[in-house]
Amino acid sequence: MQLRHVFSELRQGLRRNLSMHVAVVLTLFVSLTLVGLGILLNSQAQKTEEYFGSQLQATIYLCNGQRGEVGCVGPVSDAEKQAVIKAIEGNKYVKDWYEESQQVAYDRSKELMGDNFRISSPEAMHSSIWVTMKDPRDYERVVSSVQTLPGVHSVFTAKDILDPIYSTIDAFKYGSLGIGAFLILAALLLVANTIRLAAFARRREIGIMRLVGASSLYISLPFLLEALVTAIIGVALASGALGAFMWFGIHEKLRESLVFMPWVDFPDYLQAVAWLAVIGPLLTVLPTLVLTRKYLKV
Amino acid sequence: MIRFEKVVKTYPGQTRAALEQVSVDIEKGEFVFLVGQSGSGKSTFLRLILREYRPTSGKVHVAGKEINRLASWKVPRLRRQIGTVFQDFRLLQNKTVAENVGFALQVIGKSRSQINRLVPETLELVGLEGKADRLPDELSGGEQQRVAIARAFVNRPMILIADEPTGNLDPTSSIGIMKLLDRINRTGTTVLMATHDASIVDQMRKRVIELEDGRVVRDESRGIYGNQN
Repeated sequence: MQLRHVFSELRQGLRRNLSMHVAVVLTLFVSLTLVGLGILLNSQAQKTEEYFGSQLQATIYLCNGQRGEVGCVGPVSDAEKQAVIKAIEGNKYVKDWYEESQQVAYDRSKELMGDNFRISSPEAMHSSIWVTMKDPRDYERVVSSVQTLPGVHSVFTAKDILDPIYSTIDAFKYGSLGIGAFLILAALLLVANTIRLAAFARRREIGIMRLVGASSLYISLPFLLEALVTAIIGVALASGALGAFMWFGIHEKLRESLVFMPWVDFPDYLQAVAWLAVIGPLLTVLPTLVLTRKYLKV
Repeated sequence: MIRFEKVVKTYPGQTRAALEQVSVDIEKGEFVFLVGQSGSGKSTFLRLILREYRPTSGKVHVAGKEINRLASWKVPRLRRQIGTVFQDFRLLQNKTVAENVGFALQVIGKSRSQINRLVPETLELVGLEGKADRLPDELSGGEQQRVAIARAFVNRPMILIADEPTGNLDPTSSIGIMKLLDRINRTGTTVLMATHDASIVDQMRKRVIELEDGRVVRDESRGIYGNQN
C-alpha cells in the first residue's frame, strides 16, 4: 500500500473540508473538556467522601440542666447516661466510643477559641459521648437509636455540614457530564456530516478507485486518518483546558484557600486525560468506520 | 473468460427482470459487441461482470471465479483483472494524463518504479506519448478517451469492458478508438463493448450479442448491428 498517496489524500481532505473539521474539533474540545471535568469532579467527590468519611463521628450531647434546653427536663441522671451507653454498646454498627466530660469540653473549647471564648463555667457545657461507626454511612442507624432516649439533648454529625458540599459536587459532576453527553451527540452528527460531504466531494476518485480494484481499507483509510487527526487535536485541546483548570483553579486557588480539603491531583488529571484519549478517537473513528462502509461500499 | 448461466436479475422493488434467463459464453481473447436499445439490459450485464450486483438466480463466472459466491473482500482483486471504460471518460480533472493513468496503479499498491515504467509504456500504446503532462481539459474528446483506455489497460487486465466508449466522439475519433481497442484485443485481452454505434459494429464484423427486454435475442460470430434476416 502506498502511504504517500494515503497521506496526500489526508492532507487534501483536511484542507478541502477545513470548516467542517474545525467545527468537529471545537465541538469535541468542549464536550471532552466537560466530560473530563465530570471525571475530575467524580474523583474529587470520592476523595472528599473518603477523607471526611473516615473521620466521621456522631456526638451525642447530654442534657446539662441549663434553663430553656429543648427536650431536656434537667441534667442527665446517671441511670439515663448508662441507658445511652448501653444502647451504644448494644448497637452493632458502632466501632468504639468515648465520653467527654463538661470540664474537658470546656477546656477544649477554650483552647480552640482563645480570646473569643465567652462561656463562664464548665457547667454551661454539655457532657457528650463520641461514637465512631464501623461504616460512616450507617450513622443514621446509630443516631436514631439514641436520639429519643431521656437525657439526650441532641446528636450531631459532620454529615450535616458535608451533605451540601457533596450535593454541590454531584450537581456540577452530573451537570458537566450531561452537557458533555449532549455535545458528544452534536460531535457525532458533525462527524457523520463531514464524512458525507467528504465522500460527496471525492465521489469521482472513489468511483475510479472502486473500478480499478482499490481495497475498501485503502479507500476508507484517508477518512479514518482524518477522523483520528481531528480526535487527537480535540483531545489535546481538552487536556490543555483541563490542565489549565487544574493549575489555575485547583492548585493556585482552591488548594490555597481551602487547605483542610484533599484536592484532585496530577494522577487524577492523568486518569481523566487517559479517558479522553480513549473516548475522543472512539467518537470520531467508530462512526467513520460505520459510515465509510455505507458510503464507500466496494 | 465470461460465462452467464441462466442468469436472472431483478432489481429490488421491480417486477420485471432486467435480465431474463441469459446464457452466454465469451472465450479468452474474444472481441464482443453488446447491442440493444436503452433499457434492454446491457448495463446490468456489464455490472454483473464487475460484481456491482449479484444475480437474482443463475451463475456468473468471470476469469474463472463464480462471482455469486465471491466474498466482498475479494471483489477488488477481481476488478484488478477487468479494465473499464465509459462514455463520459471519468478522468480526474485536477490530475495530468500521466497521473490519471498512474492513479489506477497507485491505488492498488504498485510501486513507484512499476508506475514509472508502465505509465509511459501504456501512453505510447494508446498514442499519447508527449502528452503525459497535459490536463484532461487540454485534450480533445478522442484523446481523453484514450487516457481512459490507458488507465483501464495499464494494469494489463484480462478483460476490458467498454460502455459506449464512442458515444461522445465524432466519427474520426471513434474510428481511432476502435483501432485502439482492436490493438488491445490482439494482445490477448478479451474486449466486451456495449454500443449503439451501428457503423462501428458493421465495420468491425466481430461477435455481436443483442439484448432485448433482458433476453439474448441474437448471438452471431461475425455480426452486424441490425438483424441480418
